[in-house]
Amino acid sequence: MAHNEEYYKAIGFKCGLEVHQRLATERKLFCSCRAAGEPGMEIGTVERMQRAVAGELGNVDVSTSFESQKKRKFIYMNFSDTSCLVDMDEEPPHPINDDAVDTALMISASLNANVPDEIEPMRKEVVDGSDPSAFQRTMLVGYDGHISVDGREVGIPTIFLEEESSGIEKNDDESATYNVSRLGIPLVEIDTGPDLRNPEEAKKAAMAIGLLLRLTFRVQRGIGTIRQDVNVSIAGGSRVEVKGLQEIDVVDTIIENEVERQLRLIEIKKELAGRNAKVSLPVDITEIFAITGVKIIRDNVGKNGAVYGLNLVGFEGIIGREINPNRRLGSEISDYARAAGVKGIIHSDENLEAYGFTSHEIEQVKQRLNVKSGDAFAIVASGNAETSRRAAAFAKLRAELSVQGVPSETRAADSKNMVTRFMRPIPGGSRMYPETDAKPIQVDKGAYEAMLKNKVEIKKMRDALEMEIGNKQIAEQMLWSPRLSSYSFIVSKTKAKPLLVASILLEKMTEIKRQGIAADSITDDVLLEIFRLYAEGTITKAGIEEIMKRVPRSGAEVQRIIKENSLSRITGNGLRELIKKFRGPDKASTIKQLMSKYRANIDGEEMNKMLKEELA
Amino acid sequence: MYSETITRFLRANGIKVGDEVELRNGKSAFEGILMPQTETGDPDSFVIKLKNGYNVGVKMDKDSKIRVLKSGEREFSFPSAKTSARKGLEKIALIYTGGTIGSKVDYSTGGVYMLTKPEELLFEVPELSGIANIDVRDLMHMASEDMAHMEWGAIAKEVADSLNGGARGAIITHGTDTMHFTSAALSFMLQNLNAPVVLTGAQRSSDRGSSDAFMNLICSSYIATRSDIAEVGICMHEDSSDTSCSFIRGTKARKMHTSRRDAFKPVNDRQIARAFPNGKIEYANDYRHASEKKQKVIANTKFEPKVALISAYPNSNPDIVGYYAGKGYKGLIIEGTGLGHVPVEPSMKENSWLPAIKDAIGSGMVVGMTSQCLYGRVNTNVYRNLRRISGAGVVYCEDMTPETAYVKLGFLLGNRTRKEAEGLLGKNIAGEITERSRIDSAETGFD
Repeated sequence: MAHNEEYYKAIGFKCGLEVHQRLATERKLFCSCRAAGEPGMEIGTVERMQRAVAGELGNVDVSTSFESQKKRKFIYMNFSDTSCLVDMDEEPPHPINDDAVDTALMISASLNANVPDEIEPMRKEVVDGSDPSAFQRTMLVGYDGHISVDGREVGIPTIFLEEESSGIEKNDDESATYNVSRLGIPLVEIDTGPDLRNPEEAKKAAMAIGLLLRLTFRVQRGIGTIRQDVNVSIAGGSRVEVKGLQEIDVVDTIIENEVERQLRLIEIKKELAGRNAKVSLPVDITEIFAITGVKIIRDNVGKNGAVYGLNLVGFEGIIGREINPNRRLGSEISDYARAAGVKGIIHSDENLEAYGFTSHEIEQVKQRLNVKSGDAFAIVASGNAETSRRAAAFAKLRAELSVQGVPSETRAADSKNMVTRFMRPIPGGSRMYPETDAKPIQVDKGAYEAMLKNKVEIKKMRDALEMEIGNKQIAEQMLWSPRLSSYSFIVSKTKAKPLLVASILLEKMTEIKRQGIAADSITDDVLLEIFRLYAEGTITKAGIEEIMKRVPRSGAEVQRIIKENSLSRITGNGLRELIKKFRGPDKASTIKQLMSKYRANIDGEEMNKMLKEELA
Repeated sequence: MYSETITRFLRANGIKVGDEVELRNGKSAFEGILMPQTETGDPDSFVIKLKNGYNVGVKMDKDSKIRVLKSGEREFSFPSAKTSARKGLEKIALIYTGGTIGSKVDYSTGGVYMLTKPEELLFEVPELSGIANIDVRDLMHMASEDMAHMEWGAIAKEVADSLNGGARGAIITHGTDTMHFTSAALSFMLQNLNAPVVLTGAQRSSDRGSSDAFMNLICSSYIATRSDIAEVGICMHEDSSDTSCSFIRGTKARKMHTSRRDAFKPVNDRQIARAFPNGKIEYANDYRHASEKKQKVIANTKFEPKVALISAYPNSNPDIVGYYAGKGYKGLIIEGTGLGHVPVEPSMKENSWLPAIKDAIGSGMVVGMTSQCLYGRVNTNVYRNLRRISGAGVVYCEDMTPETAYVKLGFLLGNRTRKEAEGLLGKNIAGEITERSRIDSAETGFD
């Protein structure tokens, strides 16, 4: 499936990344709620309605009005420790979190960016409900930066500091439920230029940016704390924004499939142009199905519902055309209709008999809609007449857009099927206005110069690790490992050998994890103590492993675990006594005897040395 | 605001705010629209709105170069909607006085400013035109903290005029800070009232999709159009959710939170009604019902401004009472502690308020006592000091809020003799005093 660079050049491939990373600050960006950890007790919900309002240029943004047409209720779940009146849009923002600004500037410096003299907090309108205030606070903190990806310099035109949105918990026709606990956590958005040359390079750029961010040691780690959005277009199409690429391994495959989809849509556009295709107005065809065997209509429409039909003039055979694995043009139209709250559409390129349509019903539909040879039709149905009418309008919009080619859309990545799905039209530029409740920030240029001098560099870090660990492969693994910060912490504070620390953190901890033990729950302080005891000679290497296995399970202190499980190292005279006691006929059987009983207590090297001395 | 240096630089280059410009500063170049600098920004930094919508501040230096890419001709104005009368809908007046509900971000200054045309508010809430035929009356554009008794009078006259002109009810959009002063004033000033008079506002400006203005206006319109309440009241969010609004008696309402949308609570009263955005109204208290008999509404706007509202607290100096007496003040409302105390026998004898109060009353002032507890009723008998204070001639104002007592005393002194005013201060005129202290009237919680 992977194409070469020439191919992507030829199709006019354009691709840029937006990497969103949560910062590891103690507090949220504009309030004093905790920015990480457990949310605390749920303390009830608040229900709100939101609406699109005229933006800065006086016109309502396309994307926001599309969302608000859906007229849904938003329910916000609040928590004792992680949400407050600021989150609920019940109090003006507190002064900005300086630590977050400092971290964002440090990240900008590490991306070789310039920073504005004055940072201007903005409001970006969001009407999907993910923010109770209906806008997100965001600000540009860096521009004209770059990062090296496989030796090539990739431009980073913009870096933003902004608020995290709420997490969606439930979503249906009438309402969406959000968890407010993560709202307002500081986030940096790092955008590359649109010049990533192919899907693989996009993946590599995402990895490089992710690594650089981790190397600052000032960002959150774990699922959901970093996510990638990607903008993709090809010649003859429009920009499509794919959101929520959380699994970096599939970034390239999803982009490849998105390119494929756009190519197919452009082909369809050309074909439709040749056929003079167009879409007629939706027609209420409810009465045709007053008595029907079509299960999804019979079971859903009822007294207050309606069935609408659309004549897709000149679309015959095209609605069913595959544009992605298991995705057809019909799937795209369905996704629009779904945004209005129906389950999907039924169209004439499908096997209608399978739905239970009689040929008489099909004939009647064709007649009512004036469907001729070469045309196709689509049907939407809902138990709510208004929902049905809106769904038909949305389906009509999408069908019409296929005459124009690739619609400019925000799409969601579907990592399971490696494809993308429609979320909403791409937002225009009219949804930003100044956050007048927050003061502009004067950047200390002298401090920024110092940050540039001390910036995080992947290469410098890699070289230093190699030097320290003395093993290129393990150093590279350590560089990419989420345990890198633990490693640095331990190495800087104990005399334990870096190679040993790295090996245990990378291999032993992973092994322990595979045994179903929550090795990641061991804190850095506990790890530090374990390695300190090792460096002092109190425990052996095998003892480290035994303690690591027991800490997450028992939760006890390291010293107590050592005592209760007899994990102290036996050394010197003690070891000599043991050797005497367990001496076998030969060296091998002595070792076997000793190790079967004292594996965790004896250092192999010391034992070998003693045995050798005795023989000598 | 830009500094003199930047202003001169812009003038020299023939550039004005709103122009699309290219600004070069050393190695960096910025393209975008030149925005005004806000009050809190650095006056020596240009603010440029980039193509991506973000603003950046760029410090002016000796190398700064600027040129116009496109002249900004566009005049920004908020969209507006005119309503045309629809058959079968009642007519109500919407009297516009200003406040957050009528404000938006003004992009020519970067701050929150008031809408200049009330029709712009109708554009934001198109539902209103389906509820009633709305007669928009653009009375004033004022922040409520700036309002005084003249404004209360002007609003009262406008309400009377609209109701006498056939409106079924009236809505007044108003800043929230002092809305409860205005609601109390209108409750006293509007006589023969036979229709709902609804004050409403917003805690979040209507430029944001989450503004409370939308539902507050919708619920207010239903109260004005459908209820048979013949009283003045405040209609705003009942709680943090966009589920219902409370309609609270004008003399019993108080702003109890600086920022929440359910800031207004009834004090020592239950809300009169609960209004839902779908038009449903639930009544929850006794109220004056509108009668069939048509009577002309009279706005009695006379008010004595020489009335003061002061607070007594530990260490407070009673000289303040003498100060007002000396300035010719005719009335004084004290926010006392607990059941209605002021310091009577403090260790610092000169801080006893009793002599000052006696002097003030002796010089002809009317002095009223309320409680800074807000919830509950003052009392003249429980403690000796209460008996001494009331014995000095202080009128104990029952369960009135200090603000309502203040407005009431100004109204009484503007219309009655001193003696009459003193007699009426502690008696109910417009729902400001309840006789029964209902157990279920203390809805103080925010949850």
